[in-house]
Amino acid sequence: MAQRFPVRLVTPTGTVFEGTAEQVTAWGTLGQFGVLANHTDFITPLVPGLLEITGTDNGTDERYVVAGGFAEVRGGAMVILATEAIVPVVEDETALAHEAEAAERRLAQLSSYEPDFSEAEQAARLVRARIQASELSRTADAS
Amino acid sequence: MASLKAIRRRIASVRSTQQITRAMKLVAAARLRRAQDALVAARPYHDALARVAASVLSGETEATAPREEARRAALLVVVASDRGLCGGYNANLLRRAEEEAARVRGDHLEVRLFAVGRKALDYFRRTRAPLAGDRINNTPRLATYTLARDLARQVVNDFRWGEVVEAGMVYSSFRSALSQRPTYERLLPLSPPKPPPGREEEPRVGAAQYLIEPGFGELVPLVTQSYVEAAILHGLLEAEASEHGARMTAMDSATSNAAEMIGRLTLEMNRARQATITRELMDIVGGAEALNA
Repeated sequence: MAQRFPVRLVTPTGTVFEGTAEQVTAWGTLGQFGVLANHTDFITPLVPGLLEITGTDNGTDERYVVAGGFAEVRGGAMVILATEAIVPVVEDETALAHEAEAAERRLAQLSSYEPDFSEAEQAARLVRARIQASELSRTADAS
Repeated sequence: MASLKAIRRRIASVRSTQQITRAMKLVAAARLRRAQDALVAARPYHDALARVAASVLSGETEATAPREEARRAALLVVVASDRGLCGGYNANLLRRAEEEAARVRGDHLEVRLFAVGRKALDYFRRTRAPLAGDRINNTPRLATYTLARDLARQVVNDFRWGEVVEAGMVYSSFRSALSQRPTYERLLPLSPPKPPPGREEEPRVGAAQYLIEPGFGELVPLVTQSYVEAAILHGLLEAEASEHGARMTAMDSATSNAAEMIGRLTLEMNRARQATITRELMDIVGGAEALNA
């Protein structure tokens, strides 16, 4: 069995997860990354995406959609500071597709020099993450 | 002495006011509880971010210092309430804001104000103060992450683009339902964040010992932004709890004042009724004696 390490997920509205886990994967500015026990001290900003905490104390895998923030590992313990962490739910596919389309269209219209670009990019990423999470929960429910 | 009927009408009116103040007190109490819960729930995030900010930004005076060519101005974000009937809450807060503005002027800086809450906006309009912007009608909740993020964006951008050399916020810090203290907190330039109390001073981790992705240069503005966001959110939460606490106290004393007044009016009413009865008896007795004579 893989070694566990302490993990904490905190948001401005409260602590969402606190316990130990075998692995955490999340999306940083350089792409997806995973953290195992004994990871070196590190810090990275998060972009909107799926956060997965696998092999927790009670044997479950937790999944959240995170809107941004930071992930920090220090002294073997990981703290995820998320501006928002949503527990994924199965969402209506067509509504979600519409939302995604609107977000992608807005992003496509902006050039990367415009001040709204990063905001639009974040919004589009968030919708993509929600689609992914929604599909994952759907397959989880089906099995 | 007022007529019996007038006193009765007065009592009815005071009683209906009392019903309103009692209801407002109960609503304020429920909201206060919710606001206090939110304040407690936000603490781990705030503490964790303060720790991250302390380790990343310590010794980073350059990245957080105001620009040399910046306008000699300071931005004050003033957090008041949208509604009144909360005792001296807004008056105390605005007095503190004025003091802070005077201090800023004493430092030969131009004052720019950002009003949060209708009461702050009305006041600054009346005094013709220089307004940089406002956010009013923050219902049903004042302390939302969205509002904190928008305010932080304004503060950080003004600072980064050299519009101001200092930015801070004036809000009421919550001590208890009976006591709220108007406070000024400087947001930028960052005063080095202190580790949360109760824990021993953590060794300052130099940036070099951290693996930072993508890089230190990218991280500093992000941490600054997030730290300012968290500080503002904290202030908003404190302000929200203070407002409800102040309103609860004010409405509680209004309710007991009304009870006292009803008591006094009831006494007066009884006296007036007794006086009428006595007068009528005297008339009857006087009439009977006149017949006997």
